[in-house]
Amino acid sequence: MQLLIEAIGFGIASGAVIALGAVGFSVQFGMSNVLNITYGALMTLGAYIGLFLIDRGISPWAALAIAGVVVGAASVAFNRGLLAPLVRRGTRAFAIVIVTVSAGVVLQYVIVVFAGPDAKSYGEQSGQTFHLLGMVLTASEVTIVVLAAALMLGLHLLLTRTTLGRAMRATASNRILAQSCGIATDRISDIAWMLSGMLCGAAGVALAITTVSFDFSLGAVFLIPMIAAAVLGGIGQPYGAMVGGLVVGVASELAAAFTNPAYREVVAFGILIVMLLVRPHGLFGAAWATRRLMA
Amino acid sequence: MGAWEYYLVVLLVYLGTDLLAAWGLNLEFGVTGVANLGYIVTIAAGAYAYVICTLGSPASAGGFQEYVGGFGLPFPVALAAGIVAGSVVGVLIGVTGLKRLRQDYQAIAMLVVSLMAATVVTADTPFLNGNAGLVILPQFAPLSDQDPEVQRWVYVGIVAAVCVLGYLVLRRFTTGPIGRTLRAVRDDEYAAAAIGKDIVVLRLVVQAAGGALGGASGALLVAFIGGWSPGAWAYVETLALLTAVIVGGMGNDRGVSVGTFLIAILILQGVQFLNDVPALKAIEGLLNRPALTQDLGWIVLGTLTILFIWFRPQGILPERRPKYGGIRG
Repeated sequence: MQLLIEAIGFGIASGAVIALGAVGFSVQFGMSNVLNITYGALMTLGAYIGLFLIDRGISPWAALAIAGVVVGAASVAFNRGLLAPLVRRGTRAFAIVIVTVSAGVVLQYVIVVFAGPDAKSYGEQSGQTFHLLGMVLTASEVTIVVLAAALMLGLHLLLTRTTLGRAMRATASNRILAQSCGIATDRISDIAWMLSGMLCGAAGVALAITTVSFDFSLGAVFLIPMIAAAVLGGIGQPYGAMVGGLVVGVASELAAAFTNPAYREVVAFGILIVMLLVRPHGLFGAAWATRRLMA
Repeated sequence: MGAWEYYLVVLLVYLGTDLLAAWGLNLEFGVTGVANLGYIVTIAAGAYAYVICTLGSPASAGGFQEYVGGFGLPFPVALAAGIVAGSVVGVLIGVTGLKRLRQDYQAIAMLVVSLMAATVVTADTPFLNGNAGLVILPQFAPLSDQDPEVQRWVYVGIVAAVCVLGYLVLRRFTTGPIGRTLRAVRDDEYAAAAIGKDIVVLRLVVQAAGGALGGASGALLVAFIGGWSPGAWAYVETLALLTAVIVGGMGNDRGVSVGTFLIAILILQGVQFLNDVPALKAIEGLLNRPALTQDLGWIVLGTLTILFIWFRPQGILPERRPKYGGIRG
């Protein structure tokens, strides 16, 4: 029983990070309809920017914010420079996926060339732990859960309560119609890529804070749980991705606790494959269809 | 055998096995339009099947590595087992394409199969000796009474023979009525279905054929290099084959052969020689990074793929469109 509760605790902590990344992935997908595999490498980039800053004495939380902004800008540049022109020329979907896979590999190995292939660490965690309903969480894990919840709430308010949010939802659901209503869709699209890149970079740093050590494959490994969470919640739907993140996180930790720890990722892989085969539009697909936010 | 002669043998065996794999991937991706990002798993299946067929039982080999099977079978049987294993795994991967998933979702599902297979094989040590992999295969000596120099060339001959056979089988699929049907499925799935083509069956048959070529490639490769581990079939290895297909020309068998020579031999082997460039050696020493040229190899491959999709998506030798009664199809 104790093992079960502890595993759920770990699951919530890792689920919060997965949710951060998955929501960013979902926002991006909803806006561009492109399955962007480079997202994983951008997350790695975030983690290494964080490392660079923390090594220079900047606090992890400031590093998280800065890495978010830098990765956000990189994400906009990547879309503007490569993906959007290819989509405009009518390049087929599988060719675009291959472009994003290739770009991810290039970025990953550029990081290796500059930072080296060996495992890195953000250094010692503060020793303080919190006991909550039998779950044991470190101070930084609690902070990340709270931060993720705050960012999700912020995104929710942005999407539902502001003109910008409404414009984003309009652009995502019907770009041409939005354009003819006078929405500057290119700029809205840039903002969506910026937002999703920021979430991606922040998730990269958050992930590096919570893991003991990481290397250049950080994002590539973590990409599948994020896509699994996004697909589980209905791809292109940020709320679904939040729920999906928690489900994938808890399920993975339960599998790790009760079977072989190496199977942690296999759960996410399995969820993704089953969802793609059985319900590619997500768990809440039908219910959300009438009031979907970004599909 | 001199060092250069031996290197030539190595290159020829690599070229042969890479050609088989690239042809198989081209059949699936270039001709039929299934972006199989998990193709490397069929190669791995062929290699593992070959290994467990040729090795004796784990106990008889001293018990220092764990694996299922261990049948001590001769080369031809083990090669056939590798081809069958590749084919079966190809179909299993193809099942993810059964549903009418968007092409990009299909690609992701197959990528996930690749990652999942690597994770399970690495974690489950009793299955195929986990991360350490399987080594010390019984030496395959086709002509054991002759000297080793001749043997190596005999092996090159065997690889070449399998390549010729593989090419003949491949042409049955890429030319003629079957080839036209597959291209129709790729170009307009719904139109092909409307005139009575069974898309699902066609795709699975192609997955079986492409997987068989991958299995043959893996078995021939592992027989030559003598060991196999999860490190040899990371998902990025599929990218190298994809680059060969895209650079050479999707859907054109000859183009893909040219692409394989350019990518697998000229570029991937060429970067190894960068180690001999004094300036680069100095940089490697300075950064204490002996594997720098390999990292550069991946960067070059990824960049080439993107550049070709951007500037010349049809590749070096574009697919030849058949003419029907003077109208270009």
